[in-house]
Amino acid sequence: MSALLEVRDIVTAYGKIEALKGVSLEVQQGSITCLLGPNGAGKTTLMMTTAGILKPKAGSIRFSGDEIAGAAPHAIVTKGVALVPENRLVFPNMTVVENLHAGAYRRNDQPEIAADVDRMLTRFPVLKQRAAQGAGTLSGGEQQMLSVARALMSRPKLLLMDEPSLGLAPLIVEEIFRIIAELRKDGTTIFLVEQNAHMALTVAHHFYLIEQGKVTFSGTPGSLAEDEVIKRAYLGSAKT
Amino acid sequence: MFVDLIQNTLDGLTSGAAYALLAVGFTLIFGVLRRVNLSYGPAIMFGCYAATWFHVHFQGGLLLLAVITIAGTVLAGAYVERLCFAPHRDGSAIAAMVASFALWMQLEELAILAMPKHLYAFPALYEGRPLALGPFSLRVEALLMLLVTVATCVALHRLLYRSRFGLAVRAVIEQPVAAQLAGIDLPGIFVRIFAVASLVGAIAGYLIVSSSEQVTPMLGMWSTLKGMLAMMLGGLGSLPGAVLGGLALGLIEAHSQWFFGPQVRDLTAYLLLFILLALRPSGLWTTTRSAS
Amino acid sequence: MDDYTIGVLTNIGLFSFLALSAYLLLITGEMSFGQQAFFGIGAYCAGILTAMYGVSLPLAAIAAMALGALAALLVGLPTLRLKGLYFAMATLAAAEMIRILFELLHFQRTVEGELLGPDGTQGFRGIRWVFESGVEPLHYLALIYVVLAVVLGLFAWIERSRLGATLRSLGQDPELAASLGVDVNRLKLGVAAAAGALAALGGVLYAHHNTYIEPRNFDIMLGIHSLAYALIGGLGTTFGPLLGVVVDIGLVEGSRVFEGYRMIVFGGLVAVLLVFRPRGLLDERVVHWLRARFS
Repeated sequence: MSALLEVRDIVTAYGKIEALKGVSLEVQQGSITCLLGPNGAGKTTLMMTTAGILKPKAGSIRFSGDEIAGAAPHAIVTKGVALVPENRLVFPNMTVVENLHAGAYRRNDQPEIAADVDRMLTRFPVLKQRAAQGAGTLSGGEQQMLSVARALMSRPKLLLMDEPSLGLAPLIVEEIFRIIAELRKDGTTIFLVEQNAHMALTVAHHFYLIEQGKVTFSGTPGSLAEDEVIKRAYLGSAKT
Repeated sequence: MFVDLIQNTLDGLTSGAAYALLAVGFTLIFGVLRRVNLSYGPAIMFGCYAATWFHVHFQGGLLLLAVITIAGTVLAGAYVERLCFAPHRDGSAIAAMVASFALWMQLEELAILAMPKHLYAFPALYEGRPLALGPFSLRVEALLMLLVTVATCVALHRLLYRSRFGLAVRAVIEQPVAAQLAGIDLPGIFVRIFAVASLVGAIAGYLIVSSSEQVTPMLGMWSTLKGMLAMMLGGLGSLPGAVLGGLALGLIEAHSQWFFGPQVRDLTAYLLLFILLALRPSGLWTTTRSAS
Repeated sequence: MDDYTIGVLTNIGLFSFLALSAYLLLITGEMSFGQQAFFGIGAYCAGILTAMYGVSLPLAAIAAMALGALAALLVGLPTLRLKGLYFAMATLAAAEMIRILFELLHFQRTVEGELLGPDGTQGFRGIRWVFESGVEPLHYLALIYVVLAVVLGLFAWIERSRLGATLRSLGQDPELAASLGVDVNRLKLGVAAAAGALAALGGVLYAHHNTYIEPRNFDIMLGIHSLAYALIGGLGTTFGPLLGVVVDIGLVEGSRVFEGYRMIVFGGLVAVLLVFRPRGLLDERVVHWLRARFS
């Protein structure tokens, strides 16, 4: 069975500088797959390329067999891929509920959208408390919940998450990862970028290590000594 | 003296209403596309000229001429959007701006070719004597302008806050990347908001030419300038700011013209803007969003 | 050479100063809508000196350039922190203020029985120093191009020097430049003053060619035009803005072919050109390629 997401030899450049130098990986349906790596390795670039915000110079990305590399971001959302971006990027002057509705923009089934909004508010009780508040007034952890909920509003088959634990307190981070496990149980495939390798490895079925624009390791938790992985995820490997 | 002050304030609010609409239209394009459209005023001028041409050849009622003005402006605006802004969407803001300057030249020359006289009469919005309210005189056109402006702002507010399209527009203004990730189709939004901006500008233009009862090719540059000035006074990219900036501009002009004459009137507006930019670039009223 | 050709070539020369002035600011990353004001200051200052006080043209030019530089500093200092559209609007506001000051300027005195001097919106006529000194239009054309050549030589020298690289780095990545020890503010002000002086010099020559100037000559249209010349001609080289001027004034105004449709044709061409060449005709890539081929 082919993977839900197949990335093959993706090259993405900023002007003349290649941030991704030929990245290949796979995300299996129903799994939580992790992308680990030091800062600047290209994790966010890959996420943005998959979501369509950045256009790759070369390579292919297939989702459920369809080629999506270079497609417009809104078309990719329609296909069933949603990205929870780094730094949350909520709409600060819009209410929590409006943020959720924005996530459902591509959908036409109004009654179901309203039902989903209720479901999100129930699943993330902090959001229900602040439903009518401007998203900019929420705390970091609350904004992260909102960003995840917003992405879920499009009912994605594949959820991309870029550093969901960034800048959050440990308790909130635990909560986020509990939610990630829950989402997977509900049938959503998750492709997760994390700096917090330790936490990521507790939920991942498979992980990749990316360093300086190339995938340097692929395996399951336990296949490489955990402290080795964590070291390379934070610092990169010793050789250049 | 006190009577003059009130009278000037009333006059200032009236011209300020038109400036507010111009600023709103200009801000919609700037806030959403993050681009300066130097053909904004010229497109409005084109619409007004289309109506004038029609009136000269066929005679038209107020409503018909308003419709033609709007249609002409939206058409010219679409032309500008396709040639100047769509090709540079992911590219250079300056290239888009210079291209819009080039089309300004085109639109102005087109208007002059079609209607060579320097000045044309435009049917009045209202024929009749001004209302007398005690010692104050209120032109009925002024009242109509204020009413139409308020109605337009209310309609725009509803569009932005009560519709799916409006939600998408606000999302793009606040966070364009997140908007795309939520599935909002940027090019489609750009085209539609451009049309809305043209519509609002056309209403402003129609009010201006029908209350001053004349139309000249200079209307193009004049409208863009007033729109830009008011937008910057009120706070770059903020719609409520645009309205307040427009009203403020009208008031500043009315009062300084009364005391010092027309040249100093313009001087005051520019001086105020310069000082404002030097001290507080974000404008008199701002939202939390910072403009890039 | 007939009078018409001399006229077109003269205009190309004169407006090149303005285009170069805008270009200088552009490569350091600043977009100015206001260089026309310094053009006007140069025109009025030199005109007053030569027509009303009998000062010779070279001296008047120096004084005018100094005044242009000073005015540019007065505009540049409060706007140092501003970027992008904010800066552009500030320069526009300043330029319009200066133009309105010209409209309010009534300063006349009787010279040899004739009342001379700026008269507000009525303009300033009688700036005849050049022609009263017996200089013919063709000679004046030559003078303009000699001065322009000197300026271009200076530009070329700067482009190749360290200063040129520093200036361009300001435009590309000011934070990087600052972190490398460049005094960004000092440099920006220096560039502003130089650009002001350059525009003023153009104004001096303009006033003495036309012999009559009025505030309307120095309006926003002229300012945006100068910016457009630089952007259309290309930002890769000093010849870029000159190319822009040649294309507009030379091809379009100089050829009587498009009588009446000039702007429709030119406007359309520019917009289409920018779709394919957003950084102008002679952009950095083209210049690089040209240099590689011809060196």
